[in-house]
Amino acid sequence: MGCKILVVAEHEGGAVRDITWELLGLAHAVAPQGGWGAADIKAVLPGQGIGAVAAAIAGRGAAEVLLVEAPELQDYACDGYDRAIEAVVKAEQPEILLFGHTPNGWDVAPLVAAGLGVPLATECSQIAREDGRWLFSRKAFNGKFIQVLDLGKARPLVATVQKGAAGPFAGTTAGQVRAVTPALGVLKARFVETKKGEAGGVDLTQAPVIVAGGRGVGAADKFEIIKSLAAALGGQVGASRPVTDMGWLPHQHQVGSSGVTVNPKLYIACGISGAIQHIVGMKGSGYIVAINKDAEAPIFGVADVGVVGDLFEIVPALTKAVKEARGQ
Amino acid sequence: MKGLVLIKQVPNTDSPFRINSAGTWVDESNLTYVLNDYDRYALEALLRLKDAGAMTEVVALTAGPERASQALRTCLATGADRAIHIKDDALTAAAPLVVARAICAAIKGEAFDLIACGLQADDDNHMQIGGAVARLLDRPCASAAMSLELRDGGTARVERELENNRLQVVDLKLPAVITVQTGINEPRYASLKGIMAAKKKEIRTVTLADLGMGADAIGADGYRTVRLTPPPKGKGAEMLQGPADQVARELLKRIREKTGVI
Repeated sequence: MGCKILVVAEHEGGAVRDITWELLGLAHAVAPQGGWGAADIKAVLPGQGIGAVAAAIAGRGAAEVLLVEAPELQDYACDGYDRAIEAVVKAEQPEILLFGHTPNGWDVAPLVAAGLGVPLATECSQIAREDGRWLFSRKAFNGKFIQVLDLGKARPLVATVQKGAAGPFAGTTAGQVRAVTPALGVLKARFVETKKGEAGGVDLTQAPVIVAGGRGVGAADKFEIIKSLAAALGGQVGASRPVTDMGWLPHQHQVGSSGVTVNPKLYIACGISGAIQHIVGMKGSGYIVAINKDAEAPIFGVADVGVVGDLFEIVPALTKAVKEARGQ
Repeated sequence: MKGLVLIKQVPNTDSPFRINSAGTWVDESNLTYVLNDYDRYALEALLRLKDAGAMTEVVALTAGPERASQALRTCLATGADRAIHIKDDALTAAAPLVVARAICAAIKGEAFDLIACGLQADDDNHMQIGGAVARLLDRPCASAAMSLELRDGGTARVERELENNRLQVVDLKLPAVITVQTGINEPRYASLKGIMAAKKKEIRTVTLADLGMGADAIGADGYRTVRLTPPPKGKGAEMLQGPADQVARELLKRIREKTGVI
């Protein structure tokens, strides 16, 4: 009984979500710093009819999977999942509790931490031991800075972990699956359905070239220069969140954690500062060009080539050069 | 029905950010402050319920230093009926859970049917206050709301934003808490009339001591920011300089060499 690191596993449609493998990868990577081994890493898995999912996780990273099955847990609901996870945490007494920083992970983690009465570090990119303490590195000010947090004396130390913070666990384990049945009580949140957001004709995921504009473009009608460059390159127009929020472009143009994840051969970011929510959606692009007036903009941290300057001069000049090169 | 919006005053994102001398947070001396953008959408969501006659009162609450009262004034000018200010300089360094406890203490005795806040604050990006308050009050919570609809039988139907343009529809039994994603609505701005009217509206100020939370409520548990650092430069972009035409030619050359799209 008991464990040192407890990972909250996620599943969907009968499959393990990738974030779960990453959390297990992170757990295995940091466990030696605590003097722990593979046997100290477990997973909690709320759901219904997911024995096969539990077995898969026990075979790839978890010494034991605490499987909490109930009809109310068939789909995600905040209070049911909160109670299932809190009960397992109280029984297992882990030192560290890890959630994925996913829509369901960030939804339930504050409930669990508050229920346990312990602090929480969200959207962590790194967990490491320093001078005998566990420190949690996370983005603050939308990615302008890294905040290194000491969560203090309370246990467990609770964190939500950014996607891509660790590689997926690639080994095998001969873990066990153990069913637990905590009382869930009367639940006040009820899952209704999952549905598609607003539909549209744009599919950025298949575009070889994306020219994206951000807040720095300034207005809906000023997107013409972005559209012209995209057209010259045979690509699509992307946008950061403020652009779609302000209605300058429809939502389906939005790249980032709440929009689409893209990996074109070429991504040109114009007037996009590079909030982490945007970067996670485009950092996998083959070649990244960033044009921004602020030399300190985080976008330059992920770009291959950058220009500090006025996009209203540089973008039209690039469009002209591309057209000449293509004989247009 | 009564609604409560939890708001925060945050540095304007265009501010010149510098790390303070202790290396633990930003230097606040050069910053200008605004109402957190996400919170404008949360306030608007409640004001729309009031406009529709479903809500009788909308209260705005913040926890922060003296200057934060300005953000409450903005809410009052935009349409909130009254405000509560938990005023303490120490709150900036407090764990979100401690802030959530203070909020719950400050609203004790008031029956709010719906509590709304922004999905996150633009400074610390914690994304915790809504969920923590919900759990402390034993209420259901839905984060990243993209739509909100009150239904018969005392429930709120919320569409939560998921990844890849999908939505999760969830019914919350009232009283409940939601955290609001930007884009759920188009927030209104304060009118001149609203600004004038706001001057007569009440801001109730309470301190942590008033709430029975002593000096040891913050930091005694060892929670602290060890350091704030610039992000790693990553692979580091090659930076081009010069006149636009010249920069464009250099960009074209690299795009040709590296991507093959031309």
